[in-house]
Amino acid sequence: MKNLNTLLAGIFLAVALPFGALVIGSQVQLGSLGRAPAEEGGPLFPSREPGLAIQGRAVYVSLGCVSCHTQQVRPAGQGSDIARGYGVRPSVARDYVLQKPVLLGDRRVGPDLANYGARAKDLEAVHAAIKHDGAFAFLYAGDKKTVATERALALAAYLQSLRQDYSSPEAKLKQ
Amino acid sequence: MTQENRSGRPQGRPPEGDARLTRTEAQLRGPFLLFFVSAVVWLLAASVLGVIAALQQGSLANGPFRGCELLTYGHVAAAQRNLFVYGWGFNAFFALNLWLLSQLGRFELRNGWLATLGGAVWNLALTYGVIQVFAGNQGGFGLLEFPREVGPVLAVAFLLAGFWPIVAFARRPTGHTFASQWFVVAASFAFPLTYLLAQLIVLWQPASGVVQAVAHSWFVSNLLLLWFGASALAAVYYFLPKVLGRTINGYYLAPVAFWSYVLFAGWTGPAALLGAPVPLWVQSIGVVAGAMLLVPVIITAINFHGTLSTEGGWSRAWNDTTLRFVSFGAVAFTLFGVVNALFGFRGYNATVRFTSFAAGQEQLLTYAFATMVLFGAAYFVLPRLTGALWPSAKLVHVHFWATALGALGALAALLIGGWQEGKQLADASVSLAQVAKVGSAWNAALIVSAILLLVGHVAFALNAFGMILKSSAPASAGRHD
Repeated sequence: MKNLNTLLAGIFLAVALPFGALVIGSQVQLGSLGRAPAEEGGPLFPSREPGLAIQGRAVYVSLGCVSCHTQQVRPAGQGSDIARGYGVRPSVARDYVLQKPVLLGDRRVGPDLANYGARAKDLEAVHAAIKHDGAFAFLYAGDKKTVATERALALAAYLQSLRQDYSSPEAKLKQ
Repeated sequence: MTQENRSGRPQGRPPEGDARLTRTEAQLRGPFLLFFVSAVVWLLAASVLGVIAALQQGSLANGPFRGCELLTYGHVAAAQRNLFVYGWGFNAFFALNLWLLSQLGRFELRNGWLATLGGAVWNLALTYGVIQVFAGNQGGFGLLEFPREVGPVLAVAFLLAGFWPIVAFARRPTGHTFASQWFVVAASFAFPLTYLLAQLIVLWQPASGVVQAVAHSWFVSNLLLLWFGASALAAVYYFLPKVLGRTINGYYLAPVAFWSYVLFAGWTGPAALLGAPVPLWVQSIGVVAGAMLLVPVIITAINFHGTLSTEGGWSRAWNDTTLRFVSFGAVAFTLFGVVNALFGFRGYNATVRFTSFAAGQEQLLTYAFATMVLFGAAYFVLPRLTGALWPSAKLVHVHFWATALGALGALAALLIGGWQEGKQLADASVSLAQVAKVGSAWNAALIVSAILLLVGHVAFALNAFGMILKSSAPASAGRHD
């Protein structure tokens, strides 16, 4: 313990081994995941996001929405996510391959949004939800704050693009 | 350990310090005070933001800052956490770790200007980062929210400001080493490695999909356990025997505590990802590592609480300002280890997942343990460096009671409140609005606690700044008391 080199070598391993195993290991296992059809010849999922939705993701990140909203559906038996209607199946790694950054989140002050696009009724409902009873009215213009700004439009497009209601090779939906 | 102890000093007791301001201390006085003052300024800023965050979270619909884009919870919470961690936690441990290893290794900091430069760069980069967070340029990963150009600057600043303890360890004149030294060396070496790797794989060359989340969880656990945890453990190992004037109980176990802590800490991160769409083996490793972390937690409990339990140690600790804070922290660390292991398990974790519970666990480590230990250390070190006395005993009392009660209140609100919230969330028939209604009582407790913490920190800052301003002792003159 009085030898600095031994000490530093030990500490280096304590940092490098978990990094190698957990991070590089996950990358080896999941790094080649891409979009895939649930069945031979079917459409590829997850779908590509429209350009406006990609802008909307940037708005979502910049407002720190991730501090109150998660985007992950846990398997049945771990919480009530599916019973609450947050999704029809647990989230799988493939659902996130197009997302930069991945916004899993770790706090639910508000509802989970992994499938928000699938359960939102229409665009009007999405904008009502974004306003949070007026707390986020700054995203809207006009006297009565009814005119959506560019940011609100992008955010709404992003929220509508969030869906994990398709079959994928790891998580088939029951027909 | 016995063969290493050639100095004839009793084991488990740090070397005696000089009563006068030693050359060692005179050399590091400048950088130390820079780190310390900036730490306290950031702590005050973080506490103000803490109050705002508590107000914003509890009442999104009708808070006083309703509709203010700058102060949305997403901005305030991120800025608060970053200022607390990088502003207070890092600056304060830069100061304390440097002082500790200079003392233990009789190290004279000849190139103090480098440390000062590092501190200045660190604080400038931090200021820029926080402004960017408020301006809406924040990232999506907790504690990596700053725009990515801040990362390399912080890393360089860390090497300038935070690497001196390792130099001090390398240049120490004696062969004997003490537990505090191992922990500080671990903290000073593990953080820059972790930070650079995390920056690389989360921000600069993002790994694919959810691997980002795995890397992020690894980064956060290293930051919390290996920087905050290890640095604060070093301080407890130093101050307990130093102030009580006796050896650490069961000190021969300390090397086991050190190695098990360092080796298990890095694997605990994925326990924060239970149920997430990441490989199951990754999640399981996190849970097992959290349980294995009980080994160092139990050993440090034997070391710390055993030492405090002999010969009226607890009552002496209560009557000594430094030890009152430090032993509060030592108890908090044991509690943290137990909570961390227990709530890693799938059943409990599924209940508290996505509630305030995780924030409570983090506060248990970074505030109730590390910050309280830092306060205790300040009461010991500052009078030596400034040659002055603490101006007001009343403010010391206000500081202790406000921070202790504030910490307990916040922990109760986050942990117990989180547990209740989780119980309700687990029942799909309870709507989110009903959950929020029950949580509003805990939110009120959180607001009161945040105000208490702010009061405590203001009292501490007044006392400390008053003392630094009052001290007329020039750096080279030595202490007159």
